[in-house]
Amino acid sequence: MELIWDSLRQALHMIFTADPTVLDAGFRSLWISGIAVTGAGVVGLPLGALLARVRFPARRILITLFRAGMSVPTVFIGLLCFAFFERHGPLGPYDLLFTPGAIVAGEFMLALPLIVTISHGAIEALDPRVAETAKSLGAGLVMRWLTYLSEAKTGILVAMMTAFARCVTELGIAMMVGGNIKERTQTLATAAALETGQGEFARGLAMGLILLLIAMIVTVLIIFLGREDE
Amino acid sequence: MNKSPLIQIKDLEVVKNGRTICSVPEILVNEGQRLACIGKNGSGKSTFLRVLAGFEKDCLGMCKISVPQKERVYVHQSPYLFRGSVLFNVKYGLRARRYSHRTSEKFALQWLEALGVEDLAGRPVHELSGGEKQRVALARAFSLEPRLLLLDEPLSELDESGSASCLETIIKLVDSTIIVASPSPLPSVQGLDMETYLLKDRTENLH
Repeated sequence: MELIWDSLRQALHMIFTADPTVLDAGFRSLWISGIAVTGAGVVGLPLGALLARVRFPARRILITLFRAGMSVPTVFIGLLCFAFFERHGPLGPYDLLFTPGAIVAGEFMLALPLIVTISHGAIEALDPRVAETAKSLGAGLVMRWLTYLSEAKTGILVAMMTAFARCVTELGIAMMVGGNIKERTQTLATAAALETGQGEFARGLAMGLILLLIAMIVTVLIIFLGREDE
Repeated sequence: MNKSPLIQIKDLEVVKNGRTICSVPEILVNEGQRLACIGKNGSGKSTFLRVLAGFEKDCLGMCKISVPQKERVYVHQSPYLFRGSVLFNVKYGLRARRYSHRTSEKFALQWLEALGVEDLAGRPVHELSGGEKQRVALARAFSLEPRLLLLDEPLSELDESGSASCLETIIKLVDSTIIVASPSPLPSVQGLDMETYLLKDRTENLH
């Protein structure tokens, strides 16, 4: 128990004294996950809306695949990305392995099934009068789809926040394709793992607690945004 | 020159899960006509209006509607208002028709005023009562002055003054063909010439 209190104190000390390792890894974690989730949102939201609103032959298979994709271990995604980015892999010539770009790509794959599945559920659950009203009032295809996204706003925000929380706290991808290189690809999760591995358990736990804090802030935001219209 | 009717229905039937939910033997509606479809609960009024709106595709018999889908506006019995303000909702259809922000706002406020709810313009829709929602939905539909306006029980949530302002506003829509579904005959309002079509039950109809 004392170890946890010590770690908590150390975590607060590291935050308030702007510990360079924490700041560097923290900002990197935030921007890498931010880009990955934004990209996954740009691709995933229209895809979720498409699966919810348009009936086509492979639709059910795609829905099942994306649902299954939510439970793929991050280490597996990391391995897959490694295979693509390593020197002899299909994307080897781009020299992306052990760069933040490779982590962004991996986290994009982690976030995409989450965003597609949750936004698909939110849009499919919309009142059928939404589509009828929009159509009846003369909304064209783009306006109708923007209306679906806006009406399912709470669900979509939950999808984005959940994906962000998952990405910012993941370890497997950042370790596999990032390589945990200090000041280059180190994220909070890999830094915590490294500190613990080096016997600096309190520092590792402190970084874990900062990660927990980020995840909790995101969760509170999800709850707050979800209640906005009540 | 004889103009062909706007709507021609003959032996229309909508069957769902082996059950006939709407049956209309014959009906002709001319341009500019106002028609009240009166029928009990379950007589198929709403389904009939939904067929006319183009939302029910699986129907048998003849159903000729010479109004493009874009010029038909259907208002649900319990209307849906989009997230946002009342003004946003009333402007929605006008914006879809590519009116400028300024023009659509001007029209929206005019029609909200006609229905006596102009003071609600800035309110978020989740704060409205059932009657207010219905008035806003009617203002939203009326503002488009569509060629074919389909109103499913538009007075169901309205009090006496709300019903009166709704019916009086309908008179202003001189160019629109209006079909109203209602469980009972509409209150008579001077200047509103509305014919009645009785949806008796699913096998017998009178014109």
